[in-house]
Amino acid sequence: MRLLIVEDDAPLASGLQRILEAEGHAVDVTARGEEAVAAASHEKFDLVILDIGLPHMDGFEVLRRLRSSASDKSGPTPVLVLTARDAVEDRVRGLDLGADDYMVKPFAMPELTARVRALLRRSQAHGGPRITHGPLTLDTVARRAFLRSEPLELAAREWAVLEVLLAKVEKIVSKEAIIQAVAGWGDDLSPNAIEVYVSRLRSKLEPAGIRIRTVRGFGYMLEEYK
Amino acid sequence: MAARSLRAHLLRLLLPPIAALLALGAVVAYYPSLEPATQAYDQALVDIGLAIGSQVRVTETQYRFELPQAVDQVLRTDRFDRIYYRITSPSGIEIAGDPELPPPPSDEIAHNTVFDGRKVRVVTVQSPCGSSICTVLVGETTLKRERLARDIVLQSLFPELLIALATLVIVWFGVKRGLEPLARLSEEIKSRSAGDLRAIDAAGAPQETRPLVGALNGLLEEVSAASRSQQRFLANAAHQLRTPLAGLQAHTEIALAQPMPEACRTQLEQVHRATIRTGRLANQLLALARTEPAARSATAAVDLKGIAGNEADAWLRQSLTRDIDLGFELDPAPVQGDAFLLREALSNLVHNAIEYSNRGGRVTVRTGRRNGHAFLEVEDDGPGIAPEERERVLERFYRVPGTPGTGSGLGLAIVREIAASHAASLFVAEGAAGGCRVGITFPHG
Repeated sequence: MRLLIVEDDAPLASGLQRILEAEGHAVDVTARGEEAVAAASHEKFDLVILDIGLPHMDGFEVLRRLRSSASDKSGPTPVLVLTARDAVEDRVRGLDLGADDYMVKPFAMPELTARVRALLRRSQAHGGPRITHGPLTLDTVARRAFLRSEPLELAAREWAVLEVLLAKVEKIVSKEAIIQAVAGWGDDLSPNAIEVYVSRLRSKLEPAGIRIRTVRGFGYMLEEYK
Repeated sequence: MAARSLRAHLLRLLLPPIAALLALGAVVAYYPSLEPATQAYDQALVDIGLAIGSQVRVTETQYRFELPQAVDQVLRTDRFDRIYYRITSPSGIEIAGDPELPPPPSDEIAHNTVFDGRKVRVVTVQSPCGSSICTVLVGETTLKRERLARDIVLQSLFPELLIALATLVIVWFGVKRGLEPLARLSEEIKSRSAGDLRAIDAAGAPQETRPLVGALNGLLEEVSAASRSQQRFLANAAHQLRTPLAGLQAHTEIALAQPMPEACRTQLEQVHRATIRTGRLANQLLALARTEPAARSATAAVDLKGIAGNEADAWLRQSLTRDIDLGFELDPAPVQGDAFLLREALSNLVHNAIEYSNRGGRVTVRTGRRNGHAFLEVEDDGPGIAPEERERVLERFYRVPGTPGTGSGLGLAIVREIAASHAASLFVAEGAAGGCRVGITFPHG
């Protein structure tokens, strides 16, 4: 994947570059907002990591220009905003301007790489018919699932629950959110019913190393496949 | 300097002129009314003189004046005064009476003098005796006249005294009433919390107190500006620290991911932990700065359940590193507050619970309402905090002796500040499983 890092702090920028290159990405780095806007207008990046506190043109302005450029309209480039500020208004402003995620410095590298992977996955899956997670593949058009290329039998509600979890790998999904997502399927769903579906999913997926963690009292989280 | 009473001061200022006015009033009333009275009394003396003069008998050789003892007795006294007389012949020979009674100066018919050791008013009466004229002096002690003078003064003073008294009473209560706006002002200031640096509303204040209100507001504005600038500095410093810390953390993590001698790795892990701790400290200082009154942003309706839900991912990641079973019991808990600070408070509590629980322990985050109060709390099954330490752990930079890990001791102090800035209270209690249950109870909700 092609990534652009816009960060004026040289040590941090080089650190991010090394980590993301180690993940197998092609990474460009610039310290200036103007250059970032120019680069993005010439080339298509799969993800931009954007610092808000840039000299001259700040990150908000860069984000605004990226989002209003013609090339962005055809398929928006995911933007992960980095900031040393954490005022709630800043966060809201960044997300309002079209940032896809938001991280406050300093942060742990595994968290950054996890979020980068999630954003890339989301943008790849966006509109795509196939969702993959390790050995698991969901064909959303044909509504068929495969595990290690073997067809996997999933009841309709199991499918719905799995789809919600797959959309947010490494993120906790509350039981309420799952119920809402599955609610279109008819009768009232109790939280207990969700537990039943999750436990059925586990028995089908765990042998392949796909783990669904229970977050007590809150919901579930599909762990990253290792 | 001893406090000066405005009342006493005003009374001190008013009393001399009032007293002077009273005296002046008495004098002004005294003489005009004394004059006719004196004349009337003098006329009575003249009448007595004429009556005495008519009793003088004239013979060839001498003037004779005789009164029976009893009549003389009656003549010489009236109800108040003693009366003296002296009759002299035209040639100046004493005929009868008190020969020592001093006559008025030649050009006056009446005068005040002293006789027989008493103050006496003496009038001269020319009385016909035979073909000639005798001189009769009639004197009278001044008791009656003094009594009259006293009555005149008292009568004129009485209403004036009433007016003066009324003036003083009006001053006494008028000052109290006039100062009422100041009392209200001080009540308003007294009822404020230490952090309330808003300008005082001058709308209801009387004209005369405007300068005071203005000066107070000026001072409040300065204090508030100083506090804001200090807060900005702290926030800036914390923000400035974050970017280099992020770089430092990135590079230590990259380095740790590579093969290296074990001794180096141990050292580098120390560096990494210190880096993470410094980052946390920067966040905590930032939170502390934001609890300062001048930095508080407008509060909004916030649901603690939502805040906990939003942070669940980050906390879960922390809990996994220590193999902690992190759970939630979240019910709606609406409060008025600063979402950033409430998130920081809850994060600090969760961080403490994760950090100080035993590996593999159980931590539960709760929000909801209890007895009509919204609350948030975090319970763990770790070693807990001994009752005698529960007060002290709330102090800044205090850490329970022998505590493992590398905390700054700021966490609970920050939570307490945040609670205080929401008029809420922090509690530290024993958990159901023997650990620790720490949380905040909010005033309403």
